[in-house]
Amino acid sequence: MELTTSQMMTILLPIALIQLALTITALIVCARAEETRGPKWMWVLIILLVNIFGAVLFFIFGRKQA
Amino acid sequence: MSRWLVLFGKEWMEMTRSYKLLWVPLVFILFGAMQPVTTYFLPDILANAGNLPEGAVISIPLPTAEEVMAKTLEQFGTIGLLVIALSVMGAISAERTSGVTAIVLVKPISHLAYVSAKWAAMLALILIAFAGGFCAAWYYTAALFQGVAWQSSLIAYLLFALWLGFVGSLTLLFSALLRSGAAAAACALGIAAVLAVTASVFPKALAASPGMLPKAASAQFMDAASASHPWLAAAAALLVMAAVLAIAAWAVRRRPTLEA
Repeated sequence: MELTTSQMMTILLPIALIQLALTITALIVCARAEETRGPKWMWVLIILLVNIFGAVLFFIFGRKQA
Repeated sequence: MSRWLVLFGKEWMEMTRSYKLLWVPLVFILFGAMQPVTTYFLPDILANAGNLPEGAVISIPLPTAEEVMAKTLEQFGTIGLLVIALSVMGAISAERTSGVTAIVLVKPISHLAYVSAKWAAMLALILIAFAGGFCAAWYYTAALFQGVAWQSSLIAYLLFALWLGFVGSLTLLFSALLRSGAAAAACALGIAAVLAVTASVFPKALAASPGMLPKAASAQFMDAASASHPWLAAAAALLVMAAVLAIAAWAVRRRPTLEA
């Protein structure tokens, strides 16, 4: 496709930023949680390594109901 | 009404505290934006994936903007439904297990108000998240392919949002009937799959099945003529949603706590 690098960036940057926001919120929530379901380091690895779904998995299954 | 608003406020606060209000829309936006982008770059992705003999020529016809939007709806029909079912599955069963239901219902509140506040909050979440995802898809399709008429897009949005809300309501119902949240999500997704498949196999006989809704929504982009009567299916979905609320309220009345 005939796109310049800057055009590519304008297309891909918003997506990358949203994904970054999702990952970072999940990490912050995980770090601040008193307890998670399962060890915390495992959730950190899942959030960082599993693309997009890592954060989703943490939000659905990782948090303990207060 | 003011009591109902308090209940609604409680559900809203629960969604903020559990970060649902944040991550569900973000996930929808991500998938909505990624579908047009990956479709656009598919030839490049294939070319860089390797395993192709030297000089292989890949020619994939560039899909039209309408096809991309229909494809995005398909994506929301799988991942979107999964996300919704998973985020709604504990709505009643988890509160029943933790005893919140019993505490709330000590107050002079009807069971229907308790269930319908949950339902309204869920619907608001779905509408917000899907609007974000749909707008992202629309924007990227317009930027990379071509603009899509907003009239048909709006109808497609409403039809598909109704389908998402329908499946969310089913999840809420099973959450009230069953003990386990996972089972509730599985039941709702199973019924949604059966409805969608039967509706696409027998489109004539099941014109009024809510399973027609996702098909009718994509048909808005392809040729509006083939989806002549989505209104029957939409009306049926609304009726089922009302029935679901009544049954869920009855189930909560019958068994407000696990012990009872």
